[in-house]
Amino acid sequence: MKRTIHFFIEYNTVVIFILMLIVSALVSESFFTSTNLFNLVRQVTPIGIISMGMLLVILTGGIDLSVGSIVAMVGVLCALFTHMMPLPLALIAALGCGLMVGGVSGYLVAYHRMAPFIATLALMSIVRGLGFIFSKGAPVIVAENASALTQFGSGSFFGIPNPAWILLIIFIRVFVMLRYNTFGRLVIAIGSNEEAVRLSGIKVPHYKLGVYVIAGGLSAVAGILLTARTSVGAPVTGIAMELDVIAAVVIGGASLMGGKGSAVNTLLGVLILGMIGNIMNLMTIPAYSQQVIKGLIIIFAVLLQRFQNK
Amino acid sequence: MYRVELLNITKSFGGITALKDVTLKIRAGEIHALVGENGAGKSTLMKILSGAHSKDTGRIFIDNSEVQISNTHDSKKLGIGIIYQEFSLVPDLSVAENIFLHQLGGKSLWMRWKSLKRKAESLLNGIGFQIDPAIKVSQLSIAYQQIVEIAKALSEKVNVLILDEPSTVIGPYEIQKLFDTLRRLKDEGVAIIYISHHLSEIFQIADRISVLKDGRSSDSLLVSETDRDSIIKLMLGRSLDTMFPSRSPVIGKEILKAEFLNFRDKVKNVSLSLKAGEILGIAGLVGSGRSETARIIFGAEKMESGKISFFGEQLHEASPYRSYKNGIGMVPEDRKQHGIILSLSVKHNLSLMNLNEISGILGFISSKRESDHAITLIRKLSIKLQDADTEAAKLSGGNQQKVSIAKWLGRNNKVMIIDEPTRGIDIGAKAEIYKLLNELANQGVGIILISSETSELTGICDRILVMRKGQICGELEKKDFSEEDILRLSIGA
Repeated sequence: MKRTIHFFIEYNTVVIFILMLIVSALVSESFFTSTNLFNLVRQVTPIGIISMGMLLVILTGGIDLSVGSIVAMVGVLCALFTHMMPLPLALIAALGCGLMVGGVSGYLVAYHRMAPFIATLALMSIVRGLGFIFSKGAPVIVAENASALTQFGSGSFFGIPNPAWILLIIFIRVFVMLRYNTFGRLVIAIGSNEEAVRLSGIKVPHYKLGVYVIAGGLSAVAGILLTARTSVGAPVTGIAMELDVIAAVVIGGASLMGGKGSAVNTLLGVLILGMIGNIMNLMTIPAYSQQVIKGLIIIFAVLLQRFQNK
Repeated sequence: MYRVELLNITKSFGGITALKDVTLKIRAGEIHALVGENGAGKSTLMKILSGAHSKDTGRIFIDNSEVQISNTHDSKKLGIGIIYQEFSLVPDLSVAENIFLHQLGGKSLWMRWKSLKRKAESLLNGIGFQIDPAIKVSQLSIAYQQIVEIAKALSEKVNVLILDEPSTVIGPYEIQKLFDTLRRLKDEGVAIIYISHHLSEIFQIADRISVLKDGRSSDSLLVSETDRDSIIKLMLGRSLDTMFPSRSPVIGKEILKAEFLNFRDKVKNVSLSLKAGEILGIAGLVGSGRSETARIIFGAEKMESGKISFFGEQLHEASPYRSYKNGIGMVPEDRKQHGIILSLSVKHNLSLMNLNEISGILGFISSKRESDHAITLIRKLSIKLQDADTEAAKLSGGNQQKVSIAKWLGRNNKVMIIDEPTRGIDIGAKAEIYKLLNELANQGVGIILISSETSELTGICDRILVMRKGQICGELEKKDFSEEDILRLSIGA
């Protein structure tokens, strides 16, 4: 009995995930078709990539609201840069911009003790605005000579979209980081009890800065991949995306107080959230009702975790 | 006739016994003082009477009929008022609102400002103070906040009034006014329980005294039939003598020197010096600035002025990180909040500050080296647990404390500052910690030991400093150790 309870606490996200799979297969015949699954994977990839960065931030007890804006700004910049410089440089520059935004948030949070919600809310607004300024408000088309980028973005490898492979690599890296690297160990420790870590002689701000830089960088990767897939960088992409990312991390069982959460469960959370949208599309439920249902399912999933934790 | 009878009260917190078979009887119209060292169980006992804690066993009688007090609401209905050490005021509300906070909810939709103010004013005047009832509590001095707290307790009809260390923050003039009020209430038949460290006050105001020692109660004594020395003897008791290892210290050169440390009124011009292989004790009451001094030396708190030298070199910009690099360790007072991370395994707690030693390239942790490291420390301190992956929260207080100390032992420390290492832990674990401190000192580590248990300090230290109100008010060499003297110096008697 005790073992079963322990199993449910440990693996509640897996249980919800399997439940969702069964429900999806039951309500729509077209769910388990390769086209649909391909689409599903492609849709969840950007959120999946960002959620890995968000997980690290949330593990320290913080939050990053600027991720959606970074996706848009970096997408725009990436498209612009392809007109100005060779593709490899353009990619590095675009990625660098994401890292920098993360660095600013992290600096404010770690060294000026600004509340993460406030600091990243401000950055969300600034970066969104910059995206519009850089693009002059209109979508920017990727340069013709950068076709390698668009080919990669829309292509697939072994039947799986290329961006999803990137997600897989990032997921494995974060998984390994949390389990076997000193950085991941300290991120979890800081989220569990920051003062105890500080009094153990560890430079806490150093690591807090680090997680925001990673989150900014991963948001940039997602922005670049979106631009690669669609061949345009649009300043309106990723509006309210931070909410989906946070929802996925929370469905994955992470605590917003910090210290609790795992890479596997976060990825499952991303898939659960994606499946909710996917299955409602298949059932042709209208978009407005979808939003209501999605919210209800999030509440249900998190309540279930609470229940199981007791 | 007894107004309050607490009979055979026992209370433990997660395996740690705070009160054992405590009996306390208070008559109507009597001021009854409750004294004892820090951690003796005074506050716990009062929290049981006021319903903030629930007792494990025992019975409570009010006016000869047995009562059940399971929450603060119950105690209020019985007419028990309590004034806590920690303030329970809402800083952004006015004095009047705070005094009548409990009556604001429910009865009427609108606030009756005028009558509220008038009532507050007459209440405050009644206890001899002129405080503007419209002013925000946050704008009052600590002393006046304490007065408001007292007025709040008196705003309802009380039969029993508990004051927990009321005098720590108010001056001698306010104390006299408070005493006038207490005498008046006493004449009205209220039973008053007065907790204080200041024996001089107690002999001035109280009718009877009860002493708590290690969660046990003494008989109550009439103030007129006892004296200060007998009370101090009862507070100290006897039990720890056999637990200490025999020290034959080899004291080396001075390694740490602090000069004229100052920090926010809590630490005033504190200077001290520590030699290699020495165990230096710091005695004093809670709030005397002991822990703050330790935190300044470790760099956890930024001093306002002062100078700290380590091996003759001045330390600039002290921080926990620098101390850790220099070989200065600190085991904090609050082990659950600051010493260990409860939600992590013991293994991860132990390796937290040795991650560089157990990891290779790119910060990959070697699980074998991590386990070996943990097992070595667990054996060395005989920490009792199932295995190294046990969550730290599941350990007993004593074993948690050992983890909190052990995590520093993997490092080659020169100085260890240890704050209240044995509070609330069992005798066996205490003895093991004393043994460990002795071993560390024999290896040449300089140790600063802060403790509220006087007998512990005299048992293991080579030299003791006594702090009171942020200042060092006495220094005792081993040959002059006397628990009575230490206690006298700490309470300023």
